[in-house]
Amino acid sequence: MQSFTYIRPSTPAEAIAAMAGGGPGTRFLAGGTTLYDLMKLGVEGPLRVIDITRLDALARFDTSGPHELVFGALARMSDVAADRRLKEDYPALSEAMWKAASQQLRNMARVGGNLLQRTRCAYFRGGAPFACNKREPGSGCAARDGMDRGNALLGASDACAAVYPGDWAVALVAFDAVVDTLSPRGERSIPLAELHREPGSTPEVETTLAPDELIVRIRVPRSGAGRGSTYHKIRDRESYAFALTSAAVAVRLSAGVVAEARVALGGVATRPWRSPEAENVLLGQPLTEDVAQSAGQAAFAAASPGVHNAFKVELGAQTITDALMIARQRAEQP
Amino acid sequence: MATSPPASASAVGSSVPRADGPPKVTGASRYVDDLPAMPGEIFGRTVRSPVPRGILRGVRFDPAFDWSDVTVVLAEDVPVNVVALILDDQPILGTGKVNHAYEPIVLLGCADRLKLSRALQAVTLDIDPLPPVLDMRAALEGEEILWGTDNVIKRYLITKGCADAERERSEAAIDAALARCEVVVTGTYASHHQEQLYIEPQGVIAWWDEAGAHATGSIQCPFYVQKAFLKAFGLPADRIHITQSVTGGGFGGKEEYPSIIALHAALLARKSGRPVRMIYDRTEDIEATTKRHPASCEITSGCDRDGTLRALKIRVLMDGGAYATLSQVVLSRGALHASGAYRWDDVWIEATAVATNTPPNGAFRGFGAPQTIWAIERHLDRVAGELGCDPLDLKAKNVLRPGDSTATGQVLRESVAGEECIAKAIAASGYRQKRAAGPVVRGRVARGIGLSVFMHGAGFTGSGERYYKGKIAVDLAPGGRLRIRTASTDIGQGTETVFRQIAADAAGLPLDRVEFEVPCTTTVPDSGPTVASRTVMVVGSILEAAARELASRVREEQEAARQPRAAQEGQASSAAPPALSFEEAADRLLAREGKVTSLKQYEPPSYVRWDDEAYKGDAYPCFGWACDVAEVEVDLDTFEVTVVDFWSAADVGKAIHPVMCKGQIEGGSLQAIGWALSEEIVWQGGKIRNPRMTNYIIPTSLDAPPFHVVLVEAPFPFGPGGGAKGIGEMPMDGGAPAVAAAVEHATGIAARALPLTPERLFEAARGAEAPRTAAGRGERARRYRSSSTVRRARSICRRSRGCSMRSGGRSGSRARRRGARRASAARARC
Repeated sequence: MQSFTYIRPSTPAEAIAAMAGGGPGTRFLAGGTTLYDLMKLGVEGPLRVIDITRLDALARFDTSGPHELVFGALARMSDVAADRRLKEDYPALSEAMWKAASQQLRNMARVGGNLLQRTRCAYFRGGAPFACNKREPGSGCAARDGMDRGNALLGASDACAAVYPGDWAVALVAFDAVVDTLSPRGERSIPLAELHREPGSTPEVETTLAPDELIVRIRVPRSGAGRGSTYHKIRDRESYAFALTSAAVAVRLSAGVVAEARVALGGVATRPWRSPEAENVLLGQPLTEDVAQSAGQAAFAAASPGVHNAFKVELGAQTITDALMIARQRAEQP
Repeated sequence: MATSPPASASAVGSSVPRADGPPKVTGASRYVDDLPAMPGEIFGRTVRSPVPRGILRGVRFDPAFDWSDVTVVLAEDVPVNVVALILDDQPILGTGKVNHAYEPIVLLGCADRLKLSRALQAVTLDIDPLPPVLDMRAALEGEEILWGTDNVIKRYLITKGCADAERERSEAAIDAALARCEVVVTGTYASHHQEQLYIEPQGVIAWWDEAGAHATGSIQCPFYVQKAFLKAFGLPADRIHITQSVTGGGFGGKEEYPSIIALHAALLARKSGRPVRMIYDRTEDIEATTKRHPASCEITSGCDRDGTLRALKIRVLMDGGAYATLSQVVLSRGALHASGAYRWDDVWIEATAVATNTPPNGAFRGFGAPQTIWAIERHLDRVAGELGCDPLDLKAKNVLRPGDSTATGQVLRESVAGEECIAKAIAASGYRQKRAAGPVVRGRVARGIGLSVFMHGAGFTGSGERYYKGKIAVDLAPGGRLRIRTASTDIGQGTETVFRQIAADAAGLPLDRVEFEVPCTTTVPDSGPTVASRTVMVVGSILEAAARELASRVREEQEAARQPRAAQEGQASSAAPPALSFEEAADRLLAREGKVTSLKQYEPPSYVRWDDEAYKGDAYPCFGWACDVAEVEVDLDTFEVTVVDFWSAADVGKAIHPVMCKGQIEGGSLQAIGWALSEEIVWQGGKIRNPRMTNYIIPTSLDAPPFHVVLVEAPFPFGPGGGAKGIGEMPMDGGAPAVAAAVEHATGIAARALPLTPERLFEAARGAEAPRTAAGRGERARRYRSSSTVRRARSICRRSRGCSMRSGGRSGSRARRRGARRASAARARC
């Protein structure tokens, strides 16, 4: 840890102005559940911290709109998790909140910052003497010949195979969510599917956000598959653990076959991972367990397992299968 | 008219409010890092080796860094550079040779915490790496010598029956005995590191003044630290003041390690002339401090076709890590428990602890016994399979009974309750019916049940108590109050509460008349360490005697005051009311004598005889007994194991405080379940890859099954409160083998190594190690034996499942949550 300047703006415009004058060592602070952690680990060492938690306008969320759900970036995870309408209409989104972190963390963490949480890869967080391209660009990747149980099977590159650890973004990507941002250049909207980058040769660059860009809200277009959805998460213990594998799935059935299918994976990829391969298997088919199984396998057809994470091919496919069976039951309910 | 206080309704046996409850719940308790900063205080940090083995060529300090306000301590600053414990082989600061990753080399102190962390980065250790020996078998082979002449820290041989002979003939004799047996089974069983993961990390504040050296901190055994200071600083005992602060758990992890952190803090304080606060964060704590010894047990047993156990041969190998710490004692307890709770005619147990280039392992609840009990219980499950009988029948047939003798020839006289525990656990759990019905497969979830039977030696091994001569003092305080002075610490397990109960009953006083003094080495007598499940049974028994003696002195004072007056008034003295109340008499006694104290020293029961050379005789004054039954559900697709119910019938002699006693059993069992299912230290090149609570996975309350604890009370005549025995460690022994037996019942997968993580079970089910066919099982169970059959069975299950598919979450989660309520924070409690 090192000393830093603490700034507390009271409007989004002030926050952007503060950031614009800041330079590369400036960070926005929301719930602090990730940033403080990374500061203690020496991954982050901001010189200036802009506390945005007083921007009350960004804390509101509305799940009742006719066309889309709107979540202010500073809405608390615990409040969103507890929203009854969300539980009924979009159980996958609600469950992605419930199954993340602990109640104490959810009370602090905000839905915008949650999208930007960084990988739990032990080499990234632990640092020296182990190499990590994400932490120290160009230093190498100790995970390649090391313990790769937590590594990605999808979307990895030679430089990095660190898993994107979140739940919420996985559920959002399944529903084609959009992120609205504010910067000195004005507002813009980014499809969530384009917010996170695969590591490629620059794993230290994790998102398509500019350094001075602030997420202000998340919008989710309404979908006919909302009620027939679930976020299914398998982990090492019943609670308070990151996903070994997870699946956000949503289905709409019509005349006995799948009319709309949304499948996204967590715990196995370098970014929130939408699987059109799995969706294509489902579309137009009756949602039987065999079809679900095929969809699960299709999602992992391109997986490149390592030494300690190979079990996730089967576990991940099974997670999708289970999720689809739960979603089917919900979709069939009147 | 004054009266003496009514003898309280008995405190022993009732679950009185915990003495430490309200301050902990309200946040009033001050753990070491909550203590206010002392004037001039600085922070201390440790520079540790990044490599597991090498030659330390030098230490470089970045010349660009401003070192003016940083205190630096190197090995050369240490008066006597050794951590006094048993073998005195561990340096306080590494010098010359580096023997494990995280070995402390340099200490830094600075008032500015941020600068201190930068200073840490400005130190470079020049180490020429050497090839490390990280595997205990490689250490035993001895190609690279790390420790002594052969890497062997300690070796024991325990023999019984025909194996009683000199070493070479002894092994031949046991082999011959085994060869004569009708059924011979061989197997090897492995267990792994476990981190204690107490809630409060290690921490100490140290300072020096005209009275000498002071250290206050999170300490299980203040006199261990005193002993370490005696050696390192050459101070007399009365100039060493080691004080325990409120301590957030220990589980053995704060038995010997606090000596090191306290020495480090005191060295910095000595050099800087300022108080030093040294508190580890979680990562440093997991990396640098001791863990449970990994062990491997190679067992060959012989029995009759009817299941009568005859001969037993075991080779135990334990990994001590880089230095000896307590390994020889851990190994001893492991060896003494390796034959389980059973009768054998002929026994040969060779136990060896070796050194490796991993951080030193040390004390952890159970102290070697969980490792060997895991092995013998798993082994007997296999023997039962060979015989075609249920493990219960094999174990119940051979469990030790009064008059039987153990592997060391200890004849069990009284307080022998194995049979009773088995009967009660079986009745409570419905084990027989559930076993007979075979594993229940619903959908893809298979449910099974398994048990373990075990005993745990209470108190020090062998002559330990004779050697240690533990003491306790009870003072008379104004107002007829008693003050207990003991080095037995309350680290969350309830020492203060139960000691007050024992003293109150012995003195015939209400509970609130008894006080408990904060343990400090210059104000309390050395009661011996707070370890080995000895606090209540051993120290509690002398406490009982001391409190009784003190109260009787006050009563004599009352009596003396009454007699003259009674004679004067011509009344029958027996009918007269006392002239002085207990309080008045106590104050009069105190005024006259200045100080009124009863000091007692422990004497083991006279029958206890132990031969430390031959390893024969009464290894323990008595044993606690228990039978655990676990019921699990295994998801045959994901191989997640859910413990859905857990029964433990445990003989505690006498429960002084039933709620806390059950809490110990629930918490210990949950810690055992964590060891069995999810806890795993991940090593790479001698370093730990998961030194955080997010990736070292202990169970949460949601992972806790409903615990059904049946307290069995077979009193130990020399125990306090009507026969209490130690209970702190025993609950750690039985959980893992019971869970593994239940998983085997459910799936046919016979695990021989811990932990039983889903991916390991998955690999096992794939047929990499096709389990043996056990007789007496239903056809359905047999279908799950190997990869192809697992797959076929899964698809059959799926087709027949229909739409009654569970609607989310994992099976059994409702039961878990029910259990979670009951068991919440069970682990935290002890």
